[in-house]
Amino acid sequence: MSEQYKLSPLEIEQFTLENGLRVVLNHDPAIPVVAVAVYYDVGSRNERMGRTGFAHLFEHMMFQGSENVKKAEHFQFVMKAGGTMNGTTSTERTNYFEALPANQLPLALWLESDRMRSLAVTQENLDNQRDAVKEEKRLRYDNQPYGQIFDLINSMVYKNFANAHSTIGSMEDLDDATVEDVQEFFRVYYAPNNAVLVLSGSFERESAKQMVEKYFGSIPNQPLAAALDVSEPREVSENYKVYEDKLAPFPAFLIGWKIPPRRSPEFNALYLAGKLLYDGESSRLYQKLVKGEESIVQLFGFTDERRGPSSMFIGAIPKPEKDLSIIREVIMREINDLAINGVTADEMQKLQNQLLNDVIRMRQSSMARAQHIAEFTLYDGNPELVNSELDELLKITPEQIKTAVTEFLNTENRALLDVVPVGKG
Amino acid sequence: MIEEFRKSAPEPLAPVPFNIGKPFETTLENGLKLIIFEEKRLPLVSYRLAFNSGDVSDPQDAIGLTSATASLLSEGTKNYTSRQLAEEIERLGANISASASDDFTIVAASALSLYNPDILRLITEMVFTPTFPEQELNLYKQNTIENLKYQRSQASFLANEQTSRILYGEHPYSIISPKAADIENISRDKLIEHHRKIFIPNDATLVIVGDVEIESLVKEIEDKFGKWQKGSVADSNFPDLPNRTENTLTIVDRPGSAQSNIVLSSLAFERTNPDYFPFLVMNQILGAGASSRIFMNLREEKGYTYGAYTRTDTKRLAGDFEASAEVRTSVTGDSLREFFYELNRIKDEKVTDEELEDAKNFLTGVFPIRAETQEGLTSLIVSQKLYNLPDDYLQTYRDKVNAVTAEEIEQVAKKYIKPDRMAMVIVGDAEEILAQAQIYAEKIEVFDTDGNPQELAKYMQTEKVETADVSGKWSLSVDFQGQKFPVSLVLEQTDETVSGKLESMLGEGVVEDGKVKGNKFSAAAKSEMQGQTVELTISGIVENDSMNGSLNAPMIPMPLKFSGNREK
Repeated sequence: MSEQYKLSPLEIEQFTLENGLRVVLNHDPAIPVVAVAVYYDVGSRNERMGRTGFAHLFEHMMFQGSENVKKAEHFQFVMKAGGTMNGTTSTERTNYFEALPANQLPLALWLESDRMRSLAVTQENLDNQRDAVKEEKRLRYDNQPYGQIFDLINSMVYKNFANAHSTIGSMEDLDDATVEDVQEFFRVYYAPNNAVLVLSGSFERESAKQMVEKYFGSIPNQPLAAALDVSEPREVSENYKVYEDKLAPFPAFLIGWKIPPRRSPEFNALYLAGKLLYDGESSRLYQKLVKGEESIVQLFGFTDERRGPSSMFIGAIPKPEKDLSIIREVIMREINDLAINGVTADEMQKLQNQLLNDVIRMRQSSMARAQHIAEFTLYDGNPELVNSELDELLKITPEQIKTAVTEFLNTENRALLDVVPVGKG
Repeated sequence: MIEEFRKSAPEPLAPVPFNIGKPFETTLENGLKLIIFEEKRLPLVSYRLAFNSGDVSDPQDAIGLTSATASLLSEGTKNYTSRQLAEEIERLGANISASASDDFTIVAASALSLYNPDILRLITEMVFTPTFPEQELNLYKQNTIENLKYQRSQASFLANEQTSRILYGEHPYSIISPKAADIENISRDKLIEHHRKIFIPNDATLVIVGDVEIESLVKEIEDKFGKWQKGSVADSNFPDLPNRTENTLTIVDRPGSAQSNIVLSSLAFERTNPDYFPFLVMNQILGAGASSRIFMNLREEKGYTYGAYTRTDTKRLAGDFEASAEVRTSVTGDSLREFFYELNRIKDEKVTDEELEDAKNFLTGVFPIRAETQEGLTSLIVSQKLYNLPDDYLQTYRDKVNAVTAEEIEQVAKKYIKPDRMAMVIVGDAEEILAQAQIYAEKIEVFDTDGNPQELAKYMQTEKVETADVSGKWSLSVDFQGQKFPVSLVLEQTDETVSGKLESMLGEGVVEDGKVKGNKFSAAAKSEMQGQTVELTISGIVENDSMNGSLNAPMIPMPLKFSGNREK
């Protein structure tokens, strides 16, 4: 049984540079690859009204060159060294990461430090990245079937502006961005004392520390932004909405619930409940709807982890001619069954095995380790949590799952979005 | 403070060696090949039970049968229903799935090492005793037919379908997907019969990678797989491949398409061919990546497309080379010109030292990243074994990449890149494509999206028709998501050439490259919209003082219809 299974802990060494940059080394020389992750404590939750989309716009700016790295060269340098890289933006953070052959560690540190200290925030770069972001918004959100439903349901689940607005932002706000706004944003949020740097994989510990100091040590720190209020009332902001989607071929619906913050026992219990409901072919809803009733084209569910109030979603695209309200009833009945009858012993065993499996698989790749460790460091101030997260989840009892489902996945706490196709069809 | 070390990219440290060991290999009495690779980094095991029968083994009257057989292995067995099997596998936190590719059918699994005996038992359950229940077969048919419909709405699928048909002719590699009628035809009896034929130990390889003990595992495999009865390996006798002698153009007509999906292809070679490594490096320089020549030319320099790439697909018996891009309809011909320029350049000129160095660095650099996860490592070992590559293939991979010379690249380019006998397939607006692309081909054919041949003459822009007069000021109304937007066009015409300007509530634009053929008008317009330069294409049909047509913009998936009149 999985509970007897003891994973050996990942090696974690943590230190802070004088300028406040938090650094974590996860030495693991099995494969000659090194991953570098830089996490900045800024996401869409930090944006104020009238300035939405800034965090994401900034992620684009970070590839536009800095004092010693020309525009688009970041990508070319990494490619030519045989590496892979990317950057992403969420409500919580903006991250940048690359995995390279182990001997290219200096290149990664040079690239990341150059843009942390000297990003080229110019009018020209702002203009062309603003256009790129607008095009991305058109392509990925505005002109995609179902492209807007996740932003909509967020605005129905959350009341606090910091939580409720979209990461991609609005066209008007993007237009209003001045180069001074962006420079100020860079100064405040892209400071070393607002960031976490993680190295994972194959490197020599002492020389890696020296290199980190050499490349990042002289970047000046900055006064940090005021603390953020992401508090929420318990109830959702809007229970029901119909959205007319001009591009959607079929009707669909999406249900969202507001749930407690990540790593709280309630969140963990609901995360496990979600796995039982919608994860995999043996999950309750897959067996009921895809197999049993054969009424669904696609079923999906996930939890959105945040430091503040978080959320959980279940959505479905039914087959043509199927009654959506019956499908929703099946979903609510299954949730109700979890609340009343709880979890079976087989299901608990499945959860334990899947959790163990997930953690072990995450550990295989240096890039995944670096990202995971960076999150715990940034959100919780404690990279060692990467070694105890499994135990935290395995501790959750069937009773806790039952209670959390009863308390948080009910209809009062629920936002329901009905998507109605209004295209030419 | 000036820090000199920041001014240029640092030198790499000394390379760190990456050594992959060699696996244990044996063959059971019934012919099952067994490959075991111990890798004890984490308590995980990956499994692949692979058969040398793939989609190419479909009987001619039962296309799709091998894929269906593989998919349905998990939908009911002697001791388990579909649901019980899913529950049992996921209760262990494991994955087991089966699928077919061109050359192979593979049952793949991964799990925590402590469940090794259960996984082996479940694999044998699925492989030895599937029951193919009628009800599951029906659900499979229903869902697969829905998927086929969706596929047919994708331009890339239509392009690949034609490309394979043309390159491979009578050979089964020519078929990339069954049709709905083929799926309807699958019966439980056919599945049972096909399963009996292809799932035989003397045509199979079992690869196990991970946290295992070789000695006890071999015993366990003998115990569980030893009684599996030998079968007879079917002779595969495939027709020869077509011999290409000219450039051909095949158009799949999607009227009003904003984009042309272009695929240029030719036959290359099978996976074990010694030209593999020089061609791999050549392809990296030519078009495999986002810093390769074709991407830099068509996207970075010309801005015709979001991405343009080349790739090779080397299968067991043959292979192909392909260059592709999705471009705006109006630059279809220009894109072909640039593709041909690059295809000629790679075979006529030696690549530079810097290009060669960058390509090698990339290919040798990503190799260990691919081997970092157990699944990645397993894939490398499986393809080495299934394609019968040399025993030291993985150990010498990076040396072989590094040994490639500019001369070898020139040789393989001359041998396989044939700009005078390419198969060109373009999915998009046939009339537009034909006008721009016909000069590149000696032979032309047109199909509809269902694959039915069409009469070519229908798409020829006839020359004798009198050229319409489109000059003047046009007030048009564009339909965007149910709303009407006014747009005005002011056009000047000299013979068949048109220029002018475009005005909308979003801003002004310049009309360039306008042409009139008969009563058909087409042009490109560069417009400033909310501070952004957007390139639009306009096409319309003029009748007296009225015009109907459509507007295409790169970020809008469907053309916008418009209509309007000439002001007097």
